[in-house]
Amino acid sequence: MTKTVLNGRLAFAAVMLVGLILPAVFERHMVDLLVYAGLYTIAGLGVGLLLGQCGIVNLAQALFYGIGAYASAYSTVTLGWSPWSGILLGIAISVAVALVIGFPLLRLHGFFLALATLAAGTIGTIFFFEWDWLTGGTLGIGGLPPLSVLGFEFNSPARFYYLVWAVVIILLVLSSNLVSGRPGLAMRALRDSAPAAEVMAVNIHAIRTKIFALSAGLGALAGSLFAHYSTYVSVESFTVQRSIVFLLIPVIAGARSIWGTVAGALFVTFVPELLSGFGDAHQMLFGIMLVLVVTLMPDGLAGIPARVARRFAR
Amino acid sequence: MNTVMTHAPVKSQPLMALRGVAHQFGGLVVLRDVSFTVSRGRIAGLIGPNGSGKTTLFNIASGFLRPANGQIFIDGRDITAASVQERSRQGLIRTFQTPKVFQHMSVRENIEMGLYATTGAGFLASMLATPGARGERARIRRDAQEVGERFGLGSHLNTRAGDLPAGQQRIVELARAYMTKPRVLLLDEPSSGLSSDEVELLRNWVRTLSNEGITVLLVSHDMGLMSVCDTVHALYFGKIIASGSMAAIQADPMVREAYLGG
Repeated sequence: MTKTVLNGRLAFAAVMLVGLILPAVFERHMVDLLVYAGLYTIAGLGVGLLLGQCGIVNLAQALFYGIGAYASAYSTVTLGWSPWSGILLGIAISVAVALVIGFPLLRLHGFFLALATLAAGTIGTIFFFEWDWLTGGTLGIGGLPPLSVLGFEFNSPARFYYLVWAVVIILLVLSSNLVSGRPGLAMRALRDSAPAAEVMAVNIHAIRTKIFALSAGLGALAGSLFAHYSTYVSVESFTVQRSIVFLLIPVIAGARSIWGTVAGALFVTFVPELLSGFGDAHQMLFGIMLVLVVTLMPDGLAGIPARVARRFAR
Repeated sequence: MNTVMTHAPVKSQPLMALRGVAHQFGGLVVLRDVSFTVSRGRIAGLIGPNGSGKTTLFNIASGFLRPANGQIFIDGRDITAASVQERSRQGLIRTFQTPKVFQHMSVRENIEMGLYATTGAGFLASMLATPGARGERARIRRDAQEVGERFGLGSHLNTRAGDLPAGQQRIVELARAYMTKPRVLLLDEPSSGLSSDEVELLRNWVRTLSNEGITVLLVSHDMGLMSVCDTVHALYFGKIIASGSMAAIQADPMVREAYLGG
């Protein structure tokens, strides 16, 4: 085992250890924010896979987040299904929707594709609002049951914290495997040069559609978990503004970094909270911080360790 | 000229054949009834002044453009309607006039992409890191290392391909193409931007690939590089006006008038 690998594993073990004790030392509100950071990591991971690996800007993630949340809410509250069935239903519907809209949309590129996903997300919000027989409209749907495994209910922020971050770690490992494997090579190849990737026999449209569907599935999973955590869902949670927050996560993190998504999610969750003491100026300050991160850190927050290592190596 | 003479001795039957290829952009005719064959393991060249239709012919041969008329055959099989990916799987690989390396990927990853068509780990197997996917990935890395070292890229394998100078990017592109185990290699202006030493290196590489049985179709303005060709076809206003050895082409009065300036 090389020194770098050993250091990496030790750092990972240290982070895990800190993560395990956080709910015991943090007050409830902070644990609540950590849960949201976990949920945002899952949704942001999907957007990040598209952006960092394939160069696709997705502004429709709140649509899939909403589909997951409403599928869980409707299937458990109205139909009386088990929460886990609702989660699977949400993922299945989101993947199906992604395949249907992705087939035509993903033939577009660059700004046109970004605008098309923005339009898809906007249409989704309108459907969530108008289909009140399904979504409850502005009143929403409340009374979702907590998730449980073998009778153990995840009915408090601390309990849900362990569930959501376990899911996050599993998804990060799976995503890392994906991008370091053969499909990851093809994704980055088509991002860098689509014609050359085609010559290497990459079916560009198929790869883009698959990763879009995977991203949608992650959005739906995050939405379902959110619904069971908050026990109430309404249309305000699934607007285009939410999609922009999901897009900010990989942008801040450094879009090509899978594990960096965590840093991006922590940023968009905690920084507005820390700035809230500045009253009306907090949104402006958040904007300034965002600009500073994007301009001063071209590799995002995930690039900081490498920068520090280079500085010490001099 | 429908069928052109081939002066070079024929190694075996034609591997690649273009028959009556014609194309136009709007009212502008860029290719007129172009036909020629390239035998297995031979090097054929295309020369012609700017605007003579070389790149259009290359784009048609590699599947980026459908011809208005005519057919393209690989090993007797009509691939005129085949996509770029299908042609790639048939062993027809091209490089580009401006090197198209995968800029943000390492040199190793660029070369690894050459095995994409002949490997199979999909999304699920890769995510779960199944033993099959891991074994295949290890083999891809090993093979890329070997090919990289063979092409003199051993010390650059972990370098970002976009950070290499243009000449080395061309070698990366060539190594990536070689990794696919091509049957037909289309090289579009491979010497542009290279120093004379690098052109000589490239010339040796083209000859080596031919000796390994790879059929090469080469477009270049570099007469030194074109001398590696067994047969050269001169294009002028979308029509082949002469075919033969480089020496014969250079001596051809029509070619001298049209291309070499008399």
